[in-house]
Amino acid sequence: MLKHPMLEYINEEGSSGKRFPHILCPGCGAGQVLNYTLHAVDDLINQTGAKKEDFVFISGVGCSSRLTSHYLNFDSGWTLHGRSLAVATGVLLANPELKIIVFTGDGDAAAIGGNHFIHAFRRNINVTVLCVNNGLYGMTGGQVAPTTLPFKSTPTTPYGNIEDAFDLCKLAEAAGASYISRWTTAHPIQTIKAIKKGINNKGTSFIEILSQCPVHEHKTPVEMISTLKEMTVSLHKSEDSNKIPVGEFHFAPRPTWTDRYESIIEKANESVS
Amino acid sequence: MIEIVINPDYCKGCNICITFCPKKVLQSSKEINTKGYTLPEAVDIDACTQCKLCEIVCPDLAIAVTPK
Repeated sequence: MLKHPMLEYINEEGSSGKRFPHILCPGCGAGQVLNYTLHAVDDLINQTGAKKEDFVFISGVGCSSRLTSHYLNFDSGWTLHGRSLAVATGVLLANPELKIIVFTGDGDAAAIGGNHFIHAFRRNINVTVLCVNNGLYGMTGGQVAPTTLPFKSTPTTPYGNIEDAFDLCKLAEAAGASYISRWTTAHPIQTIKAIKKGINNKGTSFIEILSQCPVHEHKTPVEMISTLKEMTVSLHKSEDSNKIPVGEFHFAPRPTWTDRYESIIEKANESVS
Repeated sequence: MIEIVINPDYCKGCNICITFCPKKVLQSSKEINTKGYTLPEAVDIDACTQCKLCEIVCPDLAIAVTPK
């Protein structure tokens, strides 16, 4: 029977039984991001001769973080809540040649993992961070998150959220990431291109993917996809608009943390000899 | 010949593939899988251009189109 081409990279059967279909709800944006990422990785494997062993997937805790070790047929780590970037730093120190992809959600990256998030970007470690931002805490029941839009009602803010939302792309730029872009699950081709560029970039690449949570928003996936299209505008048309800009925000490669670390090792060796 | 296969075990009936298809090849069918989700079906297979957008956007890796 004809199968989805990306199932080649998925563990459909595990030691304790069937692993697919995955745990995510119908129409979940995280499932789409998994599909986009696998398409990007597949293109890199077929076009640039990268090997499957070169890729490592790391994630923390949350809906989007369920995508790694349980399902993927790649080297992967499912780590503590918010600490995925700390583990990725360790993996990178062990082997700086690896291509590390970190799946994280808005709660994992901006709330509990906020400090790891900014300091990994300041160091410019060579990882690609894919942040699936659905604007709420999906796994625990749809509560308000640092990325929830103002005046939006959630189970913990029934009359509307009084706080402003984090702009994760601006935060990443200020912290020092070298490639930053924002897309939505309604922009599949652009997201795949951004992920490929992010993986090829030497340094921290941050790609925020605005996503849908149809269960907690009480809408159908199709309605959510059209909402995502309506609430966003391309970056070069965003000046007079109050919509959320999407596109490539920043691309300025600079020396990575491991480059500098290696140069320090050389310097130390010279001074000893 | 182009074929579009939907895996009834994996599909969760979210209908995202139907929204994205630029040629309106897919439509919601009356077929229901074992979990109670309504599956999509290819109603106008001759219009399919094998753009594979349905394959790219499927959150459950449940749909497959004949490779070019």
